[in-house]
Amino acid sequence: MEHNSAPMNQRLWTPWFTFGVILIAIGAVLIVYRFIAGLGAVTNLSDGYPWGIWIAFDVVTGVALAAGGFTMAALVYVFNRGEYSPLVRPALLTALLGYAIAATAIVIDVGRWWQIYNPVLPQYWQGNSPLFEVSICVMIYITILIIEFVPVVSEKYKDSKKPFLRSLSNKLGPLVNKYLMVFIILGIVISTLHQSSLGAVMIAAVERIHSLWWSPFLPLMFLISAIAVGFAVVTVESYVAARSFKRPVEKDMLARLAGIIPYVLGIYLVVKLFDLIFYGKIPLIFADWWGLMYIIEMSLLVFIPFFMLLKKSVRFDIGKLLNVSIMMIAGIILNRLNTYLFTYQPRPGETYFPTLVEVLVTAALIALLFVGYKVLASFFPVMSVSTEEK
Amino acid sequence: MSVNRRTFLKATAAGVGGGMLATQQATAARPRKALDTDISMLNDCTKCIGCRACQSRCKETHGLERSGTDPRFDMPVDLSGRTLTLIKMHKQDDFFTFVKKQCLHCGDPSCVSVCPVSAFEKLDNGVVSYNKNACIGCRYCMIACPWDAPTFEYDKALPVIQKCDFCKEARLAHGLDPACASACPAGAIKYGKRGDLIREAHARIRENPEKYNDHVYGEHELGGTSVLVLAPKEVRFEDLGYKLYGDTPPFRLQEDIQHGIFKYFIPPVALYAVLGFIAYANRRKDNDATKKDDKKG
Ligand code: SF4
Ligand code: SF4
Repeated sequence: MEHNSAPMNQRLWTPWFTFGVILIAIGAVLIVYRFIAGLGAVTNLSDGYPWGIWIAFDVVTGVALAAGGFTMAALVYVFNRGEYSPLVRPALLTALLGYAIAATAIVIDVGRWWQIYNPVLPQYWQGNSPLFEVSICVMIYITILIIEFVPVVSEKYKDSKKPFLRSLSNKLGPLVNKYLMVFIILGIVISTLHQSSLGAVMIAAVERIHSLWWSPFLPLMFLISAIAVGFAVVTVESYVAARSFKRPVEKDMLARLAGIIPYVLGIYLVVKLFDLIFYGKIPLIFADWWGLMYIIEMSLLVFIPFFMLLKKSVRFDIGKLLNVSIMMIAGIILNRLNTYLFTYQPRPGETYFPTLVEVLVTAALIALLFVGYKVLASFFPVMSVSTEEK
Repeated sequence: MSVNRRTFLKATAAGVGGGMLATQQATAARPRKALDTDISMLNDCTKCIGCRACQSRCKETHGLERSGTDPRFDMPVDLSGRTLTLIKMHKQDDFFTFVKKQCLHCGDPSCVSVCPVSAFEKLDNGVVSYNKNACIGCRYCMIACPWDAPTFEYDKALPVIQKCDFCKEARLAHGLDPACASACPAGAIKYGKRGDLIREAHARIRENPEKYNDHVYGEHELGGTSVLVLAPKEVRFEDLGYKLYGDTPPFRLQEDIQHGIFKYFIPPVALYAVLGFIAYANRRKDNDATKKDDKKG
């Protein structure tokens, strides 16, 4: 199937866009204030709760939700499912923005941010720390995402009136395209590594998090769930983008894509069940309210989507497909928050509830995703258009 | 039905570490335990009179600000960026116990394992030291420390991680004992070599079995610690905030898994090779197909 991508060139300042820009502006002011006044002045973080929503949601959940970038690349380029190629660039853009946001959140949250580059200095390397691995991989992966985006930018300027831009685009674009596979595969490897390392981070915290969420298999669980939800995010993203740019939704393509999800969820379910049975955790499900929380999370993330998406009638009904995708996204958000925040046992007597500033900064970062997407997809050939239309 | 998740987990962690990852464990580096020659501190709760002289002297030595709600007084409720050690009072029926909180200078420290930038280091003399020039302030050490020892200066724009440094620079470097040990008027804090202090602790228990809880806390906990604690007979260590742990710190399992994923970089490189091969094979198939089509056309 032939497809081309084109800039959307549409009116930017819709009411939602304006709202997003306002949120970002508020967030920017608060972030400046955070750097002047310190973390204690703007957050409810404490010695009992060193990590709040900025880490648990913006970074950990954000990275999981941005997994669509590498799964789509793997599907199309490695497993040669060219029929999904119209979804690759949008997924790439989402991943790029998602990681940019996670990285921003890290810089805001980290206390000694002016030394944030320390993990790359050889004298400070620390191969035992999953967080070291995450920080290195995230840096490399963002670079790779930018490289993968070069062809998109150069496509726009290849016939530009400005000679410099034109010649640069004509040189850089083909060059990157030639070696694109190298970067794409590297991106996939790096992604599997840091997605799983984000799970490994909490293994040392065995005394801190609830046993239903703690497992030696956390790395595997984090990786598989991110892959599964990656497809759900691509579905929602492509629907929202199509609506926003007033274009037809790629219903059939999304339906076929959704056919993959039950397989991934099936593997996740096996790992989860093994974890429950092998370590004798089943009684914990009936022990207290956390058991109920576990059931809710598993229902949203796995049980319901698994059985729903097995049905053709659900996959080919865009409304239902969308609902299931959103359900999965809610499920993974709950899973990451449970693992990193909700079930976390601080030193006795401490509680945490995010401040308004923490919430507003998070809102600003989410707004940045939508605003950034709209701007970049408007100016660069990201969205796919069929050849006749052009 | 109630299941104690802590005990359950201890069993779990041990089982997994031994079974699934036996291969990696064989290669796990630096299994350090607390050594007899490490410098050490014996905190005897039965001797402490709760005067908090150690706490004040520590603040003075490290130039730390007062903490608590009323700025005229220093009344810390727990360890914080301004309080590296403090005395907590525990009440059980009519019996008071004073217990000292601080970094225990683990033999096999979690903070050293998890810090992404090697900001923590276990020195040869046993001290676990912190290097602010390395630290990025991610606060992972605070998550991983089994004794909630590292704290963070939330009230500063340019913060550091704070924890007991054994008075390494302020006093040990000048041949002086740690501030708290020298301040204690009741002889509740004894400074010395770990081997000697462990022997002394056992001797105290032996000589006064009716007075002491028969356990030297820190002798074996998570590989042993440099700070040792003795408690009164009637009082459980858990109630004093000293959880009873096994001998192996949980981060060992984490390291094993992490090293498994990265073993000599073989798994990532192998993954790269496999993906590359699949992609290449698929391309070839495609090209052949197009060629055939061309011929037909
Ligand atoms: S008590 Fe905590 S901070 Fe101190 S050495 Fe052990 S792990 Fe590190
Ligand atoms: S806060 Fe500093 S010392 Fe603690 S783990 Fe992070 S970088 Fe290391």
